[in-house]
Amino acid sequence: MSTDPSRHRFEDVDWNEIERTRSLVTSQRLIFVVGLVVLFAMYTYDSYTGLYFLGTWEVETLDWLVFAGLVFIGSFVGVPLVRHGARTKQIVRRIVSRPAHAIAMGFLSLLAFSGIVGPAIYGDVRISFGNQYNPPIGSTSKMGWANQCAGEVTTAADGFTRLCHGSMANPLGTNHRGQPMGYLLIEGASVAMDVVLFTLAFVVPLAAIVGIVAGFRGGRIDDLLMSYVDVQLCIPAILVFIMGYMYWNVSLLLLLVTFGLLSWGGIARIVRSETLQRREDGYVLVARSLGASAPYIGRRHIIPNITNTLVPAVFHLLALFVLVEAGIAFLGFHHIETYSWGSTIQEGLTLSVSTGQSYVDPPATSSKLWWVSTLPAIALTITLVSLKLSGDALRDALDPRQTN
Amino acid sequence: MTETNAGSPHAATSEAESDAVDHSSSANIEGSPVVADSDPLLEVRGLEKHYPITRGFLRREVGRVRAVDGIDFDIGRGEALGLVGESGSGKTTAAHSILRLEEPTAGEIVFDGESVTDLSGPNLRSFRRRAQLVVQDPNEAFNPRLTVGSAVAEPLSLHGMSDESRRRAIVEDVLERVGLSGDDADRYPHEFSGGEKQRISIARALVCNPDLIVADEPTSALDARVQSDVLALLADIRREHDISILFISHDLDVVRLFCDRVAVMYLGEIVEQGPIEDVLESPAHPYTRVLMNSVPSLDPSDRTFESPLTDTIPDPGDPPSGCRFHTRCPELIPPADLAVSDEEWQTLAAFRFTIETGELPSAVDPTTVGDVDAATVREEFDLPTELADQELNRRIGSAVEAVASGDVETAGQELASVLPTVCEQVVPTQSTHRGRPVNCHRYDPDREAEPVAWRGAGL
Repeated sequence: MSTDPSRHRFEDVDWNEIERTRSLVTSQRLIFVVGLVVLFAMYTYDSYTGLYFLGTWEVETLDWLVFAGLVFIGSFVGVPLVRHGARTKQIVRRIVSRPAHAIAMGFLSLLAFSGIVGPAIYGDVRISFGNQYNPPIGSTSKMGWANQCAGEVTTAADGFTRLCHGSMANPLGTNHRGQPMGYLLIEGASVAMDVVLFTLAFVVPLAAIVGIVAGFRGGRIDDLLMSYVDVQLCIPAILVFIMGYMYWNVSLLLLLVTFGLLSWGGIARIVRSETLQRREDGYVLVARSLGASAPYIGRRHIIPNITNTLVPAVFHLLALFVLVEAGIAFLGFHHIETYSWGSTIQEGLTLSVSTGQSYVDPPATSSKLWWVSTLPAIALTITLVSLKLSGDALRDALDPRQTN
Repeated sequence: MTETNAGSPHAATSEAESDAVDHSSSANIEGSPVVADSDPLLEVRGLEKHYPITRGFLRREVGRVRAVDGIDFDIGRGEALGLVGESGSGKTTAAHSILRLEEPTAGEIVFDGESVTDLSGPNLRSFRRRAQLVVQDPNEAFNPRLTVGSAVAEPLSLHGMSDESRRRAIVEDVLERVGLSGDDADRYPHEFSGGEKQRISIARALVCNPDLIVADEPTSALDARVQSDVLALLADIRREHDISILFISHDLDVVRLFCDRVAVMYLGEIVEQGPIEDVLESPAHPYTRVLMNSVPSLDPSDRTFESPLTDTIPDPGDPPSGCRFHTRCPELIPPADLAVSDEEWQTLAAFRFTIETGELPSAVDPTTVGDVDAATVREEFDLPTELADQELNRRIGSAVEAVASGDVETAGQELASVLPTVCEQVVPTQSTHRGRPVNCHRYDPDREAEPVAWRGAGL
C-alpha cells in the first residue's frame, strides 16, 4: 500500500486514468471462463480417447453438467467467500455457535465430500452374489448354503443353522447382490449431491434471474414471465418425467431436468415480490444513479437482502428434490445402475420378493436383513433434516442484524 | 377549457436565464455569496415526465399522470437551488429525471454544456460520477447487508477503482471528514443513528468528487437539532468543494437556511422562482404564500398568512384546467361582474371547490349524518345568508339545497356556472414580479386583477 497522502484523498483521484485502465476482467469472471475452458478441454479429451481420469470412474453427461455447475458455484460463490475472508469467518463462527446448525452443516459437508470424491475412490464395485447378506459389525445373519461370509461363521444353538458375523471386510454389511452397504451409501450420497448441485447451479439461478427481471423491469415483461410461471406451476413434473421415461432412456438427468425445469416457479415468485419491495429503496436508487447495471444490483443489493426468505426456500427445494429422487427410485423408475438411496431402501424392503427363494433360507426376510433398507433410510432422513436446518443456519448467519 | 401549457416553458427560457444571472445580489445566510457563472452547471428546459395509465393486457394508454409537466430552471456552479412543494408536486420525479434514473418524456437537461439524455459510454460514466444523489430516508439509504465502508466505497468500485486498499484509505478519510471515525467503515448501517447515516450518505455522495449533489429531502426524517448539524455539514462541503446542490424539500424554513435560490413546484409545474431572500420576503404566487403559512409559527399574533381553500391536492393524472392551483387558491380572481366582497368571494369559492372535490365535511355528509338541512350546510361552510346580488343569492341557495339533499353533482354544476373564474379557464403565462418569473394571472398585465399585497412582509 502506498503511503502517498494523495492516494487517500478523494479529490486527488484521477478518474481519467482509472477510466483508461478500466477492465471487464474480474477474478470471478476469469476463474469462471478458465474453469469452463478446462472443463471443455477435458470433455473433448474424454470423448475422443475414452480414457479414465480417475480410477475406473466413467464420467457421464450428468457429471459433466455437475462439473460445470461446480465451476459456476465456485467462481461466483466460492471466490467472494475467499476474497471476503473476514466476513466468511464471521458467518462460519455464527453457524458453529449453534450446535444443531453446526452438526447439520457438518453432515452436509461430509455428504458433499463423500458424494463427490467417494465414487472415484471406491471405484466400480463388482456384483458378487456369493457375498450376499453379510451383516454389519456386531450383527449376525443366517447363511444360505450357497453364500460366503467374510467374517466369522458360527453354528447356532440348534446345531444346524450357520450364522455369519459382521467383519471389517464389510463393516456395514452387504445387500442381496453382495455389494457392500458402504459403497451403496456413498453411491446414494453421490446421487443426492448430483441433485443438490444441479439444482443450485441451474434451477436456483434461473429462478432468481426470472424473479429479478420480472420485479425490476415490471410492465409487460413481468406479466409475461409471471403468466408463464403460472402455466408452469400447473404442469405436474411427474407426468412429464413418466412420459420421458416411456419414450427416452431413463436417467437421473431426465429426472433432474423435468423436475428442475418445472419447479422453480415458487422461488421466482418469492424473488419477484421481494425485488418489487426493494427496487425503490434508497440504496438501489443510489446504485442506479451511479450507473450500476441490473445484474449488479440484483447480485449485490437484492439477493443479499432477500436471503431471509430465499435461503430457506432454496434449501426446502433441495430437500424436496432429494426426496422426490428417492421416491421415484423407490418406485423403480430409476436407471438400473444408479444406486440411489430410494432404490436401495426398496430392495431391502422387498428382499423376499425380489430374490425369489433360490439363494436364501425362507427366514431371511427383510426384517432379519434390516441393514439393507435401514441404513439408506437413516442417511436419507439425516440428509433431509440437515438440509432444512442448514437453510435456517445460513439464513441466521447471513443476517448481520441477528445476534446470537 | 383544456388548453395545455406545453409551450409556455420555452417562452420562459429567456427570463429564467436572466434570472440565473442576476441572482448574485442575494447574500445567503451561509455567508457564501455565489458569483454566478454566465454558463450554469445544470440547465433544465421544458422537462416533462408523464407516466402512462394503462389498462388491459395490451396496456392501452387511457391517461397520463403528469408528474413533471414542463419545468425550467438553472443551477449555477457552486449554487444551491431549493425545489419546494408539497408531496406529489413532482419534485422527486424531476430530480430522478435529471439524474437519468427516469427517462424524461420531453425536455432537455444540459449538464456542463452537454445534453444528459444524449450521453453514453465514458461520458455517461463521467456524468454519473459528477452528479450524485442523497436520498431522503436514512434508514433505507444503505443496504443492510453491507458494511458502511463498502457502501461508501461502492461509487469508487462501480467506477472502476480496483485497488481495494486505496478504496479503503479514501473511505476512511472521507468518513473522518464528515465527522465519523475511520473504524466505522467495518460497522453495519443499523449500528448508526439517523443523523450519522445521513452523514455517511453525504460521504458516499462526496467520494467521487462530484460537481452536483441532488439532495432529496435530506433532513426531513431527522429531528431539528440533527437536521441543522447535517445542513451545516452539507453547507461546509459545498463551500469547500464548490459543489452545486439541488435541494429538494417541502420545508421552506430549511430551504431558507440552505439555498441561494428557490423554485416552487405545484402539480408538476414551477409556479415561481427567484433568489431565496426575495421570494421569502415578498412571495408573489399565492401557492408560495400558502406554503409559507404551512410552517407553524410560535408567535400567536402571526395570523397574517393565507390558507388554501381546500386541503385536497388534485390528482396529477387529471390536473385542474387553467391555473392548476385555482381549486385551492385563496387569491382566486372573481368574475368582473360579481358584486361580492373579497371575504364573501373566498367563502363562496371555498364552498364551490370543496363540493367539487366530492369530499364533504362529515357534518354535512349524508352518508354519515342521516338528515342534513340547508342551515347546517350554510353554517358548516360559513356562507353569508344575504348577498347583495339577489340572483346570486337564489342560485347559491339552490346549490345549498342540493348539497343538503345529497345531490353533490348538481350543486357542483350550479356553483361552477354561477361562480366562474378566469383562473380555471386560461392557463397563466409567465409574468414577472420584481424581476423574477411567476405563473399567476394576477401578475399578468393583460388581466384586470391586481396582485394582492403581501401582508406577511417584514416578519
